[in-house]
Amino acid sequence: MADTKDFESVAMPHLDAVYRAARALCRREDEAEDLVQMVFAKALERFGSFAPGSNCRAWLLQILRNAWIDELRHRHVVGPVVSIEESRPAIADPPHPEEAAWSNAEDVLDNFSDGEVRRALGELPDDQRLTLFLVDVEGLGQEEAASITGVPAGTVKSRTSRARAALKEKLVAHAKELGWLGRAQ
Amino acid sequence: MTHLTDEQFEDVVQARAPEPAHLAECQSCRGRLAEAKAVRERLQSAFGSVHASPALADRIRGALADAGGSAAAQRAVRRPMIWHLPRLAWAGVAAAAAVLVVAIPVILYLTAPESASAAQAELARIHAGNLAANHRIFSDADPARLADYLKTQLGFEPATPKLGQGMAMRGCCVAHFKGRAVGSYVVETPRGPLSIIVVPQEPQAMGMTEHAEAGGKAFWTGAFARNSMVAVRLGGYTYCAVGEVPPDLLTQILLNLGLNARP
Repeated sequence: MADTKDFESVAMPHLDAVYRAARALCRREDEAEDLVQMVFAKALERFGSFAPGSNCRAWLLQILRNAWIDELRHRHVVGPVVSIEESRPAIADPPHPEEAAWSNAEDVLDNFSDGEVRRALGELPDDQRLTLFLVDVEGLGQEEAASITGVPAGTVKSRTSRARAALKEKLVAHAKELGWLGRAQ
Repeated sequence: MTHLTDEQFEDVVQARAPEPAHLAECQSCRGRLAEAKAVRERLQSAFGSVHASPALADRIRGALADAGGSAAAQRAVRRPMIWHLPRLAWAGVAAAAAVLVVAIPVILYLTAPESASAAQAELARIHAGNLAANHRIFSDADPARLADYLKTQLGFEPATPKLGQGMAMRGCCVAHFKGRAVGSYVVETPRGPLSIIVVPQEPQAMGMTEHAEAGGKAFWTGAFARNSMVAVRLGGYTYCAVGEVPPDLLTQILLNLGLNARP
């Protein structure tokens, strides 16, 4: 039976990382908190299979990913038939290259609040959103991200690249609406 | 000129490979690289201020402590049960041991407090799913029609709640709990919506604690996230009322459950 104190000392230091990931996946803060609590309950249940010394953060994030997929499947089974990729609004066609180019990407990005950037990430398809979060925010290696998301490392690379491009398109569109892109160019 | 592939590009962004010579001569790929790095840094800073609240940390630590406490309590109870047996009973114990060797893993799975916590998490998830906007719900205000529907889905007709006092039936749903289909009613109350989830598991197997007796029945309580849970056994099933409402309201609605006497 899992030793709760051992589990707490090993797993709780990663609470922020798990919560950040949950916030990246869930639309609402309370949904994210419930998901995190479920992840720690499931992790305690499976703590016996955790290899001491291995990457606990990656292990917890994998449980999070599986719990999230279970949730999506549950919605899929009992709700309208919506695929994971389709469960988010479709990304608009890429804008014309000249329009999309950022003469100074950092200046444009700095105009957005943290919340706006997180919301733009939240509009990406689930698979892209999680992969980009793991690679760019958590700084996980491609193999670690591949292990968590259950796809080959090559898929992680292409998915990350597509996700970053899609995120940029979202932000470009928003910047254009607000007239920021014109000022930046 | 051949631009960098996504794979080459990602290796450069993550500094896992040296910058290819192509970058020195391709303004397009240099621009793409600068943008990618800028997006990556901005994402990191956007999440830099996101931390779990102390309340969430406390909630999780509390749940872990409860799980540990239950385990200790179970160990404390089991020990005297073995050592206080009369000598003659040891023959029976030996015979039963063979059966237990097979049964213990199953019993541990069903009763381990860690599994129990997960069971309450599952109940909360079913309730949250019942309230989701895109959830498929069999909607009818007539409890008898809902019970008929659940009978077609589950093979038995669950007891139905008797409503009133501003409460109204929203409908019923079928979900999965520990690998099997279970049914639930969704009830609107003046204090918020709640689900009555009907499962075969005993309340203690789901980590609930016996709280009180009323109307000749034992009521069990649990909690997950912001959800209160109250459960009662009836007709071989456990009726778990779950919702972000006071436990006394959950108890009240379970007190008024009635097994349907219709043919």
